[in-house]
Amino acid sequence: MESTLDIFVKAIFSENMIFAYFLGMCSYLAVSKTVKTAVGLGAAVIFVLGITIPINYLLENFVLKEGALEWLNPAYGKSGDSTIDLSFLSFIMFIAVIASMVQLVEMLVEKFAPALYGALGIFLPLIAVNCSILGGSLFMQDRQYSTIGDATMFGIGSGIGWFLAIVAIAAIREKIRYSNVPPALRGLGITFIITGLMGIAFMSFMGIKYVDDKAEKVEKQEVKTTQVINVKTQK
Amino acid sequence: MAINKDGNGYTFGFSIALVVVVGVILSTISIGLEPFKKANVAVKKKMDILSAIGVESTRKNGEELYEQYVEDSYVISAEGEVQEGLPKEKTAFYLDVQKQYRDKQIDKEDRLYPIFEAKKDGEKVFVLPVVGKGLWGPIWGYLAIADDYKTIKGASFDHKGETPGLGAEIKQDFFETQFKGAEISEDGSYNEILVVKSGGSESKQKVDGITGGTITSKGVEEMVNRTMKVYQKYFSKKQ
Amino acid sequence: MSEAAEDVKKPKEPLFSKKNKKLITDPLTDNNPITIQVLGICSALAITVQVEQAFWMSVSVIFVMVFGNLVVSLLRNLIPSRVRIIVQLVIVASLVIIVNELLQAFVPDVSEKLSVFVGLIITNCIIMGRFEAFAMSNKPFPSILDAVGNALGYAWILIVVALVREVFGSGKIWGFEIFGSNLPGEESGIYEMGYMNNNMMILPPMALIVVGIIIWIQRTRNKELVEEH
Repeated sequence: MESTLDIFVKAIFSENMIFAYFLGMCSYLAVSKTVKTAVGLGAAVIFVLGITIPINYLLENFVLKEGALEWLNPAYGKSGDSTIDLSFLSFIMFIAVIASMVQLVEMLVEKFAPALYGALGIFLPLIAVNCSILGGSLFMQDRQYSTIGDATMFGIGSGIGWFLAIVAIAAIREKIRYSNVPPALRGLGITFIITGLMGIAFMSFMGIKYVDDKAEKVEKQEVKTTQVINVKTQK
Repeated sequence: MAINKDGNGYTFGFSIALVVVVGVILSTISIGLEPFKKANVAVKKKMDILSAIGVESTRKNGEELYEQYVEDSYVISAEGEVQEGLPKEKTAFYLDVQKQYRDKQIDKEDRLYPIFEAKKDGEKVFVLPVVGKGLWGPIWGYLAIADDYKTIKGASFDHKGETPGLGAEIKQDFFETQFKGAEISEDGSYNEILVVKSGGSESKQKVDGITGGTITSKGVEEMVNRTMKVYQKYFSKKQ
Repeated sequence: MSEAAEDVKKPKEPLFSKKNKKLITDPLTDNNPITIQVLGICSALAITVQVEQAFWMSVSVIFVMVFGNLVVSLLRNLIPSRVRIIVQLVIVASLVIIVNELLQAFVPDVSEKLSVFVGLIITNCIIMGRFEAFAMSNKPFPSILDAVGNALGYAWILIVVALVREVFGSGKIWGFEIFGSNLPGEESGIYEMGYMNNNMMILPPMALIVVGIIIWIQRTRNKELVEEH
C-alpha cells in the first residue's frame, strides 16, 4: 500500500488542492494580490488542515462510520445486532468541527501568541468557508487512510501544497502589474489563465512515486519486455 | 418585542431547537432512504458480476438476471482453500474486498477471496473479483474464468476517479475484451498477463494498455496478476 | 407581526415586478456569481469534464440555494445574530445531506461520479454569500427569486464549460458520440479523416483556462466590468 511519505508528497504536488482539485479557489483568488498576505493565509491553511483532518479522522472512525460505535457496546459494531451507521451526518459534523476549531485556534493564538495572531489573525475566520479545509476532510473520508499518522500527513501535505500555490500566484500577480495584459483580461481573467498554466506545469509531478516494493516490481517487468513497451510519459 | 434576541438564554434555546429539528429531519430521511441505497449498491454489484460473463443488465433487471445466471458462491483463503462457516458479512456476496484490500490491519495471508459460479449457455464460468489502485484512487473489476480453470472468458473493470478519456477508459469494451482468451496458468504454474503499450501486442497474454493512461493500465495489470495468482492456487487443485 | 406591518406601509407589488425580474436576470450576466463576484468556483471546476455531471451539480446547487434562501428568509427574524454564521452553515449542511441522500437513493450512478463534490456545496461561497447578503434581510418570495437567479448564473457557466470540455475533449455531448466513433481500428466520422480528441481539455487545468476565456469575452463586451489590475 501507499507509504506515509508517498501520501505526503502526493498531497503537495500531484494531488495539489488548487491545481488538481480547485479547492479553496475563492480565497485563493481574493487574497493573492500580494505575497505578504498570501503567506499569512497559506500558513493559516496549513495549520488548520493539520489540526482538523486528524480530529475528523477520529470522529469518522470512532463515531460516524458504520459500526464505528463498537467501543460503546459490541452490539453497535459491524457484526453486532444493532449496527449503527451515522455516516449520513458526516458533512454536518465535519463542518461543525472545522468552524469550532477555527474559532478555538483563533482564541488560543490570540491569547498565547499575540505576535502570530497579528500575522494570522485576520485570515483565520476566512478559513472556515475555505473549500480546501472541508475538501481535505471529505477526501480523507473517501480514501479511508488506515492510520491517523497517514491522515495527518495528508492534511499537512495538502496545506503545504495550498501554501505553495497561493504564494506562487501572488508572486506572479505582483509582477504582472508591469505587463501589458489586454484590458478585458486584467485581474481575474489572467489569474484564471495563469493558474491553469501552473496547473499544467504541476501535472508533470504526477508520475512521482515513492519507491516501494511494488513499484520496483513494475519496473522490472518493463525492462523484461522492452521490445514492446517504450515507456511512455504519463499524461 | 418581548424576547431579547441577543440574550444568552434565547441563543441557547434557539441552538438547541435547531439541532433537534435538524437531527430529526435528517435521521428520518436517512432511515427512510436506507433500503433504496442498500438495494442500489447490491444491484450494482450484481450488474458488475453479470457484465464479466458478458450479460448486459440494467438496474431494473439486474436482480432477476443474477438469480438466473449465478448458481453458487463461496469464499477461498489466500492458500486456495474453501472456507466454511463464515459470518454473513464475510460470505462471497457481502464480503467487501475493496475494504479488505485497503485495510492495513488485515494481513495479506488473511484476506479472503470470493468466487461466484455462473452458468452461461450451458457452460460453467467462475467470476472472480479483483481490486487495486489506479492513478487517483481505487480501481476494481471482475474476471470470468472458463471451466478449464485457466482461460479468461471476459472481464469488466471500473474505477472511482481516473482521468476521463485516459485512465477511465479501462471500463470501455475495447479494453475489457482484450482479456478474452488469455490464460492464467500454463503447465500448472501461474502465467502472467501483461498490459503493454497500445498496438504492441500480438500474444494473447498481452493486452494493449491505454495511451496516456499508463499508471492506470499498470494498476490493472498489478491487480489482475496479484489476485489471479491466488485463484490459480485454488484452480490448480481442481484440475 | 413585523411582516404584516411592512405590508401595510408598502403598496403591494405585482408578483413579477421589474425589481423581481431583475433579481433573476442580473446574476445571469452582469453580476454573475462565478465570473464577476468570483464565488463558488471551487466546486464548479472539478466536475465540468462531462455535461451530465455539471447538470446534476447545477440541479443540486439550485435545490440547496432555493430551499436554503427560503428557510433563512423565513427564520430571519428569529436567528440570533451572534450565532448567525453557524446557523447558516447548519442549514446548508442539512440541505446538502438531503441532496446527497436523494442522489444516492435515486440516481446512484450520478452520485458516484460527483463523489465528494456534493459535500463541497456546503462551502460554496455563493450560497453562504446569498444567505448573508440577501435572504437575511428580505422576504421569502424575493429570496427565492434571488436564489434561482444566482443558481442559474452558476449553472450556465458550469454547463458551458462542461460543454466545451466534453465536445473537444472526448467528442461527446452527454455521453453521445457526436463526431463518430474513435475506437482504435474502427474509426468513423471525422476521426476517419485524422481528427483527434484534444486530451488536454479533459485535464483539470483547462477548466480554469476556459473560465478565463469566458471572463475575457464577457468583459470585452461590457467595458464597465474591466478591472484595474
